[in-house]
Amino acid sequence: MIDLSNIHVVFGKGTPLQKEALKGVNLTIEQGSFVTVIGSNGAGKSTLLGVLAGDLLASEGKVTIGTTDVTRKSTAARAGLVARVFQDPLTGSCGALSIEENLALAARRGERRGLQSALGSGRRDLFRDRIAELNLGLESRMKDRMDLLSGGQRQAVSLVMATLSGSEVLLLDEHTAALDPGMAEFIMKLTQRVVSERKLTTLMVTHSMRQALDFGHRTIMLHGGEIILDVSGDSRKDLQVEDLIAMFRKMRGETLDDDALLIG
Amino acid sequence: MLSQIAFWGAVELGLVFAFVAIGVFLAFRVLDFPDLTVDGSFPLGAAVAAVLITAGINPWLSAGIAMVAGGAAGMVTAFLNVRFRILNLLASILTMIALFSVNLRVMGKPNVALINADTMLSPFFGLGLREVYVRPLFLGVLVILAIVLVWRFLESDAGLAMRATGANPRMARAQGVDTRWQVYLGLALSNALVALGGALFAQTNGFADVTSGVGTIVVGLAAVIIGETLFGARGILLALIGCVVGSILYRIAIQVALSTDALGLKASDLNLVTAVLVAVALVLPRLRRGAPQ
Repeated sequence: MIDLSNIHVVFGKGTPLQKEALKGVNLTIEQGSFVTVIGSNGAGKSTLLGVLAGDLLASEGKVTIGTTDVTRKSTAARAGLVARVFQDPLTGSCGALSIEENLALAARRGERRGLQSALGSGRRDLFRDRIAELNLGLESRMKDRMDLLSGGQRQAVSLVMATLSGSEVLLLDEHTAALDPGMAEFIMKLTQRVVSERKLTTLMVTHSMRQALDFGHRTIMLHGGEIILDVSGDSRKDLQVEDLIAMFRKMRGETLDDDALLIG
Repeated sequence: MLSQIAFWGAVELGLVFAFVAIGVFLAFRVLDFPDLTVDGSFPLGAAVAAVLITAGINPWLSAGIAMVAGGAAGMVTAFLNVRFRILNLLASILTMIALFSVNLRVMGKPNVALINADTMLSPFFGLGLREVYVRPLFLGVLVILAIVLVWRFLESDAGLAMRATGANPRMARAQGVDTRWQVYLGLALSNALVALGGALFAQTNGFADVTSGVGTIVVGLAAVIIGETLFGARGILLALIGCVVGSILYRIAIQVALSTDALGLKASDLNLVTAVLVAVALVLPRLRRGAPQ
C-alpha cells in the first residue's frame, strides 16, 4: 500500500526561481493495485516518483509505504520496500558487473550484506531459472557483463531484479520510453505478467496515453503539481485516448490564458 | 643483464608494493575514487611499525596496528569527501599533506632504523635458506593470502555492494546500498593494505623514512595498469593477480633500465623511467585495439 498525504515539494525555496513541483498531493493506492500516471512535462510526475523512491524528500506531508512511515528515509534506507525500473536502461543495472552479479545485488535489496559468497548455495541456479523465464536466451550468458546487453534486454533483466526480493511497491519510470516498439511491447507484457503474478502495488509513469489506459486498474493525471484526474473502474473503461488528448489541449489553453493575462 | 641479487631484490620490492597496488586497485578501480592518501599512508605504516618494533612490541602486532592507522587515514579522506563534499582528489591530497606532519610526530625524527630489531622475518632467517630468497618467499606467501582475502571479499554480497557503488552509485542506492558507508569502508581497506606495505617495507629494508612515501601512488598505479595491460578485464581474481605481476615487472623493468650501461641512466632518472613505463603501459592496449583516434 502507498499513502501520500498532503505532499508539498518546493525547489529553490526562498529564491526568485522557487517552484512548487507538488502542491498538496493526496493519493492512496491499495495493496496490489496497478496505477498509471500521465501528465505533460513539468506536471510533477518525476517529482512524485522521486518522493516515493526517496531521491527527493517532501517539504511537507507524509509518505507511507506498507505500514512504514518513510517520509524522511533515504533511498537506500527504504530500498527494501521499493523496487524500481528506470527510464534509462543504463541506470537500473550495473554495466561493469555480470548478469548474475546484478541479480545477486538485487536479491539482497534491503537486507544486510554479509561476507558469504554472492553466488553460492544454489543462488546461481535460482538466478538462471528466473532469467530463463524471459525466453531471451540470456540464461547461457549469465557471466557476461551487463553492458554487453541491448537496452531492451537490460530492461528485462531489471524487471527480474525488481521482483527478486519481496518489495512492497514497484515503481516504473517510463521504462519503455527508450526502447523500440517491438521491445517496448515485450517489456509491457512482461511487466503485466510480473505485476499480476507477484501482486505488486505498482505505479507506472508513462508518456503514452495508450499505455496509461490499456494497463493497470486506475489512471491519474497530474498537472501543475496537482492531481486533476483520477479514474478507475467503469468510468475508466469508457475513457478513450481522444478524451485524454482533449484534456491535455484544454490544460495547455489554460496556461496560455494565464500568460496572456500576465502580459496584457 | 641483472645479477641474482639485483633480480631477487627487485622481486622483493615488487612484492612489498603489491600490497600498495591492491590498495590502489580497490580505490581507483573498484570504488572509482582517485585516492592520493596512499602517499601518506605508506610511510605512516612504515613509521608506526618501526616505532612500535623498536619499543619492543611484537612485529606482527605492530604491523596490525600500522594497518589500523592506515585505515584511519583512509577514513579521514572519506569523511572529508562524504561529509563535506570536498572533491575526492582534493580530499585525499589534504589527508596526504597532513600525514607528512603526523608521520614526523609518530617517529619524533625524520627516520627510524630497525637494524638489530626482531622483525616479522627474523624467525625465518635461521632455517638454512639464504636471506635473499627468504624475503621474497615470506612476502609472496603474505601476498597470496591478501589476494585470496580481497578476492573472496569482492565476490561476496558485501563486496558486490562496494563494486556497484563505484560503477553505478544511483543503482546501488536503489538496491539499498548506503554508498557513503561504502566509501568509508573501501578507503579504509585500501589504505590499510597500503600501510601494511609500508610496515613490510620498513622491516625488509631496516628503516622507516618520512620521505619514502613520495610517488607511492604512481608506483601503485603503474602496477595496476601494467597488470591490466597484460591480463585485460577478465574478472576480479585475474585483476588482483595482475596487480602483483605488474608490481614485480615494474621493479624488474626499472632495475634493468638503471643497470644497463648502454642506456647511460642514473638512479636519479628513476622518476623519468617510471613516467615512460606508465605511459607505455597506457598506450599499449590502445595500439592493440587498432589505430588510435
